Amino acid sequence: MTALTKLTTVEAKLYAREPLTIFWGLAFPALLLVVIGLFFPGARDPSPELGGTRLVDLYAPIVLALGLATLAFATLPAVLATYRERGVLRRLSTTPVHPWRLVIAQLLVQLAVAVVAAILAIGVGNLFLDVPIPGNVVGFVVVFVLAAASMLAVGLLIGAVAPTMASGQGLGLAVYFPMLFFAGVYFPREVMADGLRRVSDLTPSGAAVQALQDTWSGLAPTTSSLLVMAAFTVGASVLAAAVFRWE
Amino acid sequence: MSVIEVESLVKRYDDKLVVDNVTFTVEEGEIFGILGPNGAGKTTTVESISGLRRADSGRISVLGLDPHRDGAELKQRLGVQLQESQLPDRIKVWEALDLYSSFYRSPASWPDLLDQLGLAEKRNTAFAKLSGGQKQRLSIALALVGNPEIAILDELTTGLDPQARRDTWVLIEQLRDRGVTIVLVTHFMEEAERLADRVALIDSGKLIALDTPAGLVGRANHEQRIRFRPSVPVDEKLISELPEVTDVTRAGDQIVVTGVGNVLHALISLLARNQIIAEQLRVDQVTLDDAFVALTGRNLDTADTSQSPEETT
Repeated sequence: MTALTKLTTVEAKLYAREPLTIFWGLAFPALLLVVIGLFFPGARDPSPELGGTRLVDLYAPIVLALGLATLAFATLPAVLATYRERGVLRRLSTTPVHPWRLVIAQLLVQLAVAVVAAILAIGVGNLFLDVPIPGNVVGFVVVFVLAAASMLAVGLLIGAVAPTMASGQGLGLAVYFPMLFFAGVYFPREVMADGLRRVSDLTPSGAAVQALQDTWSGLAPTTSSLLVMAAFTVGASVLAAAVFRWE
Repeated sequence: MSVIEVESLVKRYDDKLVVDNVTFTVEEGEIFGILGPNGAGKTTTVESISGLRRADSGRISVLGLDPHRDGAELKQRLGVQLQESQLPDRIKVWEALDLYSSFYRSPASWPDLLDQLGLAEKRNTAFAKLSGGQKQRLSIALALVGNPEIAILDELTTGLDPQARRDTWVLIEQLRDRGVTIVLVTHFMEEAERLADRVALIDSGKLIALDTPAGLVGRANHEQRIRFRPSVPVDEKLISELPEVTDVTRAGDQIVVTGVGNVLHALISLLARNQIIAEQLRVDQVTLDDAFVALTGRNLDTADTSQSPEETT
């Protein structure tokens, strides 16, 4: 096995040994969708205030974005900062394998968890809450991967510089909660004031929800939402590569 | 044959000169001790050798390779055990070894390493559940899993209890017997004295002396110190009149005599003539500790407190 395969396998095992991270990263998006669908009054009926869509359908892309944000901002920076604080990255730099490969392994694991969490949420929504399967499947997959890439890149940037686990967690959460807000977790983007929604359009999570929603209903994603996500992906990862501290 | 050549190495952090024009070579198959108080520049020196830091000036060659230009090749042949470097809490002992062995061209058999380091029973234990000594041994195992020609071990017995420390020493000697060249960074005199074939004494970034432990001790003050409790009160003047004696002091009911040459014989003869028995007689041997004091003008232990043990520079 190559070093990267082995590193990814070990990182996946380590991830699987943290029950709390598994719950929040893997199961929570599906669970939140179920709670909204079953316990919010009228969530499964078409709502005139939401232009005739059902609240639960509206929340399906939001919980996917929430799942991505949890991995990218609540988990990834803390893991990377812990590895830095404890000298895991430094030890790796004494071996023939550059610590970048550990970072890439960690990103691959987070991406895999994100995909499983999304499949879980879509499946549960479809089976129990009649949430339709995404209409524009190819577009949806592209958007999901881009959304994951843009948020993980920002999480990587935080994890690139945070010196300790505590600071990685603190900085991560400081980005996490605004990202949830702009994704529409607290109240959907449909009911945001125009100005606020325009700000949300420019965030990775807001753009992600917009593009996921569009492709879910069978449309093409808007160019602006793709551009915002692409810009965050490229900008944050280039910056992260430039400033990444190994010790 | 020299396997490591360090020539006029200089390293600054900001304005602070951490390594100040250090030159030495390490011969194939020896245990080379780098000894000095914390903050002396030992770790920075070996980090430069390992290619983890770039020197500000000077030349380093390891196995004929440049640690930066040929870093990838060098890291295949060099095993490094770093101070204060841990593993993820939940990684199991065997997983860590299996993972690290996949990084190397021709790795050692890690199950054998587990046996040799007495970790076989712990192979399924998570890193966080290991004792300090076990973590340290795992760390050594990881430094050796690539079958290195040179092993650099930084403060490897710090934080170990005396028994674990002695066990580790035996292990290092076995390693040398297998032909591995070892660079041992330490601030324990006893460790350097016991293990090292040659010792580089480093203080404030400068190489103070480079010699065998016995050679270093030989450079120290040749004075001997004798302590005893006289069975009956004795006139100190009588002792200080002996030509071999340079100083006499009283510490409680004990008398401390410092002198040169045959001072012990002269003192005992004098006491015998006066029918005085020297009780609790102790002759202090000159140690590497004394050598350090003699060569740097300060005590290694007091030099130590100037910086916390966590300091890695």
